[in-house]
Amino acid sequence: MSRRLASPVTIVSLIAVLCGALVGHAADPIPIGVSVAQTGPVALAGQEQVLGAQIAEEYFNKRGGVNGRPFKLIFQDAGSDEATAINAYQNQINVAKVVAIIGPSLSQQMFAAGPFAVRAKLPVLGISTTAKGIPQVGEFVSRVSAPVAIVAPNAIKAAMDINKNIKRVVVLYAQNDAFSKSETETFQQAVKDLHLELVTVQTFQTTDTDFTAQVTNTLNAKPDLVIISGLQVDGANLVKQLRELAYKGLIVGGNGLNTTNIIPICKALCDGILVAQAYSPEYKSKINDDFKGIYKDRQKKDPPQFSAQAFTGVQVFVEALGALDKKSPIAKMDLAALRVELNKQLIAGTYDTPLGEISFKASPGGEIVQKQSYVAQIKMDPGGTSGKWVYVK
Amino acid sequence: MPAFLAAYDFLLVSMVLAAVLALSLYLPLMAGQLSLASPGFYALGGYIAAIISTKVFPPAAGLYPVPLVLLEMAVAAVASGVLGVIVGVPALRLRGIFLALATIAFVEILRVISLNLDVTGGAIGIFGVPQPFASQIHYMSLAIPLLVLCMLFAARLERSRTGRALVALREDELAADAMGVNPTRYKVLAFTVGAMIAGVVGALSAHFINTWNSRQGTFDTGVSLMAFVLIGGSRTFVGPVVGGLVLTALPEALRGIADVGGLPGWLAQFLRDGRLIIFGVMIALGTVFFPHGLITPALLERLGRGRRHRVEAA
Repeated sequence: MSRRLASPVTIVSLIAVLCGALVGHAADPIPIGVSVAQTGPVALAGQEQVLGAQIAEEYFNKRGGVNGRPFKLIFQDAGSDEATAINAYQNQINVAKVVAIIGPSLSQQMFAAGPFAVRAKLPVLGISTTAKGIPQVGEFVSRVSAPVAIVAPNAIKAAMDINKNIKRVVVLYAQNDAFSKSETETFQQAVKDLHLELVTVQTFQTTDTDFTAQVTNTLNAKPDLVIISGLQVDGANLVKQLRELAYKGLIVGGNGLNTTNIIPICKALCDGILVAQAYSPEYKSKINDDFKGIYKDRQKKDPPQFSAQAFTGVQVFVEALGALDKKSPIAKMDLAALRVELNKQLIAGTYDTPLGEISFKASPGGEIVQKQSYVAQIKMDPGGTSGKWVYVK
Repeated sequence: MPAFLAAYDFLLVSMVLAAVLALSLYLPLMAGQLSLASPGFYALGGYIAAIISTKVFPPAAGLYPVPLVLLEMAVAAVASGVLGVIVGVPALRLRGIFLALATIAFVEILRVISLNLDVTGGAIGIFGVPQPFASQIHYMSLAIPLLVLCMLFAARLERSRTGRALVALREDELAADAMGVNPTRYKVLAFTVGAMIAGVVGALSAHFINTWNSRQGTFDTGVSLMAFVLIGGSRTFVGPVVGGLVLTALPEALRGIADVGGLPGWLAQFLRDGRLIIFGVMIALGTVFFPHGLITPALLERLGRGRRHRVEAA
């Protein structure tokens, strides 16, 4: 190809491609969109979400789908940024013509893409969007991920159950991490609401390795409880150095420490860290046992929270579709009416999910009401090389 | 056509905005200054628009007035211009890689500030930015004139005394200085105009994507902008515009190919999930086969000559 031709050809093929995208599907199964982060920095969480959603697709289709009619998940990568999330949404809404969408992964992405769903009048469900204000985006935006403001204080309450004499609290957080910064505000508010004394707030960077200054200040404040919002490596190193300098009290970790990946770092000193959870594999119910069983078969480990929430997202839509179908057959509805009715049905229903029993608030419409809440604590083996989460609540 | 617009309205406007943003990086590059500061001014413009539209004129029922959007764009331009001069005068004393590093630091400073201020909404940012239009495609009524104005400006600039001074600085700063071109003045000028353009695009983008946060206009954006300019071509203003349009569309176009009926399932899924891999390979191939970018002054000249021949033949 001559250089002269190269760019006109590129442009023509591009136009051809964009036009080709017009050809829609007319598939028989009910299409439900899943747009989570399959690429970018959030893809680790996104992968777990894809796994959870796929398990749900198989599981519920085997049990008859929506009153005998199968459903199909349409995956469109929402990336880790706002623009890609919007593009994925537009594709789901207008090209794949789905009845509802699950995702995107980040709260910030939902703030960008959510208004598009509101405008298109189609129900969307956040499965890992925990920031304040998500259901307030609009009528069609709901979530099954309990907001950080509800989940985080549970760990402090659990600590107060373990040690009834907690009074003085030190809070530490990673100043340069967006999630840690918003999480610590919730923790600090919860400390005040529980009438504890916030003695000092210390900051660090996720890139720090030496925490001597913060640990010294913390120990000088003589705390009964230390609360850490950071990421895995810095958070675990901070725990290690606190313990090495003889801090004996309880430690509550934020969601960044909610992983067994911290064990190789703080080893035996990890013992006793408390972290609040929106999901527990230990939760006893038929649906959770089934879900856990399938997940364990494939991944050889207990399902993480993100997978459970994604499974729940699919389940909620499938059950809402089923309930709606019984009231008025959905095959007879046009797509626009089906989307609106599905949203009404979604918010009206109660669902028995792996997360426990959940329902939605009518105001702000779509905020999750989750009955169960969980707190887990790390129990290290005597050797100090392996350990696991034990659910204390 | 309506179905196409419904699915791709957001993408089409993003392409135009990316093209304008690429021009903001191209201007300092005209003077040979590799500055990655554009994303910082883009972020600043976005925050200005988001704050004005949610806090100063709180949203009322109905659509947000378009004149207010224009006002926000003007405020963003002025603020970015002033900050551009303040940052530009000391920063442009640095050259090459050091200037690039200083501008990356500038972007990082703005990001950390926005992460820690209450008015910018901290980590979550500002959401619920009101909409001036009923449909995304109507943003074209602001984006297209903005692109045309910036392109006209760049076209005139390339032919003016100032433009030649910038090119002279790019080719040899010492020689240009000896010929009476004031390096600091012209470099700061190009930098500041680029900053103002970036600020204006940011102001429009905040409405366009409904929300604004510290994840907008980061170093990553700078890298994408640089790809727009380098793949598009850095020797004429048409290059960055084409680069911005094409490279913004490409990942989504690959998603579009996947939706064409008749493809084997695995291929469609690869086009969806692996589209960034294909995108990366194409960028790598682009730099190998078009080292000066897709659009070069020589190519434009050939195209222009071809057109003249056709006119003469007719």
